[in-house]
Amino acid sequence: MSEGGRVVRQALALGALSLLVAAAVHFPLVKRFARGEFRESFFQASEYPGVRLITLEEAEDLWRTAQAAFIDARRKELYDAGHVPGARSLPASEVGKAIPADVLNSPRAGTLVVYCEGGDCQSSLLLAKRLHDEGFKDIRVMTGGWEAWKTAGLPEERGDGQE
Amino acid sequence: MVRNKAVLLAFRVVLGGLFVYAGAVKVLEPLDFAQNIRNYDLVGQALSFIAAIVLPWLEILAGAFLAAGIWKRGAALAISGLLVFFIVLTVVTMIRGLDIDCGCFGAIDRKAGLGVILEDLAMLYLGLCALFAPRTLS
Repeated sequence: MSEGGRVVRQALALGALSLLVAAAVHFPLVKRFARGEFRESFFQASEYPGVRLITLEEAEDLWRTAQAAFIDARRKELYDAGHVPGARSLPASEVGKAIPADVLNSPRAGTLVVYCEGGDCQSSLLLAKRLHDEGFKDIRVMTGGWEAWKTAGLPEERGDGQE
Repeated sequence: MVRNKAVLLAFRVVLGGLFVYAGAVKVLEPLDFAQNIRNYDLVGQALSFIAAIVLPWLEILAGAFLAAGIWKRGAALAISGLLVFFIVLTVVTMIRGLDIDCGCFGAIDRKAGLGVILEDLAMLYLGLCALFAPRTLS
């Protein structure tokens, strides 16, 4: 066998060995995945007790009854092009920076609804985790995101203020 | 390329050790690493999950084999291949303007950016030295 072929086989064998070891070590986790967990997100509810995923209907209900403050995790230009009326822009790309004072000064026990583009966007969840770390106790992630809100024909607002 | 036996051994041990460390911190928090992979927004949930549990073990095994001198070239090939992939991935991430954690060494907070690329290039040099070392020296 040529030297090159031998080296490639060794590397492939290492890959196969890794697969076996991973399946054995993480067997409980693999079982949970097979049962359907982690299909929407990888966050463990036990680590973030204050973060919940909610449907569009639940979000709409919270918005109509003004029971929650909405936070738009998308980029500012997308927010400006259209957002949930009353929502505040807080791009998830800025989660590494300091959270603005007006957000931090809001009551930790209040309900926050965070959303991003929709589909399988991840930024709302990133932001939710960050807000959870800041001490907020009730953060809900609208999983359908802006796409679901817009598709449902719900009210929208442009720019920083009025429709 | 380096042609000194002691230096080559040092390269293998350093690079292997770094990979064992990088893999070990990820094995401890597989779901965090899965989220890191998902944040690159290139693959879906299932592939992110599979990569998050397999990749750290490939890093650990290839790193350990390289440092221990077992299947040296195969381990060096696997590690060099991974590094090339990481470099391409980081460049693509920068071009796409994504502001995300690289996920390189577990929970250590580092953005996917130029620093990561330079670090990977330095490691790739060590990996290629080990891969292409003359048989009499390796």
